Amino acid sequence: MAYYVNRNLKMTLWEKLYLPEIIRGMAITSRHFFLNLFGFIPFLLGNKKERPIMTVYYPEEQVQYPIAYRGRPVLAQNEDGQPACVACGLCEIACPAYCIHIEPGENSGKQNQYERWPDVFNIDYAICIFCGNCEEACPEEAIFMSDDCEISMLDRKKMLYTKEQLLTPVAELQKRIEFTRNMYAKWNY
Amino acid sequence: MWVDLAITFVKILFVLAITVGFFAPVLTWVERKQSAIMQDRIGANRADILGFTVLGLFHIIADALKMFTKEDFIPQGANKILHTISPIIAVVPALLTFAVVPFGGQYTLFGKEVNLVISDLDVGLLFVFAIASLATYGYVIAGWSSNNNWSLLGSMRTASQMISYEVTMGLTIIGVLMVYGSMKLTTIGAIQEDFFKWGLFLQPLGFVMFLAASIAENKRIPFDNPEAESEIVAGYFTEYSGLKFGMFFMAEFIEMVTIGAIMTILFFGAWHIPFLTTATLLGWFDFLGTTGANLIVMLIQVGVFFTKVIFFIWLQMTIRWTLPRFRYDQIMKLGWKILLPLSLANILVTGIIILVLN
Repeated sequence: MAYYVNRNLKMTLWEKLYLPEIIRGMAITSRHFFLNLFGFIPFLLGNKKERPIMTVYYPEEQVQYPIAYRGRPVLAQNEDGQPACVACGLCEIACPAYCIHIEPGENSGKQNQYERWPDVFNIDYAICIFCGNCEEACPEEAIFMSDDCEISMLDRKKMLYTKEQLLTPVAELQKRIEFTRNMYAKWNY
Repeated sequence: MWVDLAITFVKILFVLAITVGFFAPVLTWVERKQSAIMQDRIGANRADILGFTVLGLFHIIADALKMFTKEDFIPQGANKILHTISPIIAVVPALLTFAVVPFGGQYTLFGKEVNLVISDLDVGLLFVFAIASLATYGYVIAGWSSNNNWSLLGSMRTASQMISYEVTMGLTIIGVLMVYGSMKLTTIGAIQEDFFKWGLFLQPLGFVMFLAASIAENKRIPFDNPEAESEIVAGYFTEYSGLKFGMFFMAEFIEMVTIGAIMTILFFGAWHIPFLTTATLLGWFDFLGTTGANLIVMLIQVGVFFTKVIFFIWLQMTIRWTLPRFRYDQIMKLGWKILLPLSLANILVTGIIILVLN
């Protein structure tokens, strides 16, 4: 898929003169300049959409991230409050950064109960690279990438999230679950 | 004599105040803000004092504070003396050019003839050219004394670029000189009282070439190879921090004002309003008495002059945020193969026309 740049462009005489083309370019930029400059007065009066400006004042204004966005990975929590995770360890293996730590727990053969669950499930966000491999590897639809990206903090130790911090109700993750189902069905896993 | 000294002192103070005190800091803000609104962004507006942002104007103070408090770093193996004085060598020529730049005409104030130029040299044009080429030393020494590969590369590029474009600049100035017949900048300004004698109409090619050459002299985009940040880190000021870096930065902005002023005087009618001679203006305000009328006209014309300078600064900024950087060979090609022959042809054509008209 190499992309070659055509360096032998045939330019017309008008383009070779260079100056007219510069003036054309400057006309475009100064058109934007004056449009924005005179749109500045309604902007100051509070009408922020008067100018064709795309800037979002980030902490005050936020945009909805697309559903394919990979924020911090979270654990899905079933309706009865238990994690959907069965502690198989596939995400731990799939993780290229080794940020997941799982210690499994299981019941002693009682019927109609959860057979396996993670006793400890830690994700260290200081190490996580947000690749989404854990989500892809999970056979139980238990771990998902959320749209939360505001996880920076001053203490590294606090970035190690435990199971209780990671659990998120399934209802909040419904869109992402749909998206992953579609995506992985398309890729024929 | 003391009055003359005092007047000169006031003029020096005025020039310093308007360049170092007003233009250099405000232009840092203007550059950010203009680039932002040209690119449909908002630009710097977060620095605030008690919640007031005032369009981001407090970023000037924030920048100054940052530069004052930064560590003044001299790299190991650097030549300490040269490393320290080269920012000064870079700033001084930019300021020195203003010594011969007239920012207004001649006015009679309180029975005293006041010429709004610090030093009305007979060879003003030559002085401007000489001082402009002196600035090269600051950049070359800065790059050489830093003991850094990128700095050296940057200073070599500076040297070759500035020398190449000085040729064009000098030859363009000759065209202007032939038209006006004087090296005195005040005379050149005074001749342009007639709208049809503006350098823009007498030397249209010279105008474009002088603009290109002076932007190249100032090392701004599209001619910013000496400090090309994507190729050689920051060129000659890679190893500079704090206020020394600030001085290079200031030199660039002051030089922008200088270029604007020189362009205004040579090509854009100096301090004159089109179709309005000084005599007409004086006639309008005649009811205020000689001194009053002169004072009003002086204020108007200084205002007009700096409006034109601001226009040229705007033009340079627009060019800077519109065009991409030239490749190094393209700069040399443009300088030696296109601008030099064109400027020679310009002199020839100007000479022929002057001969025919006389």
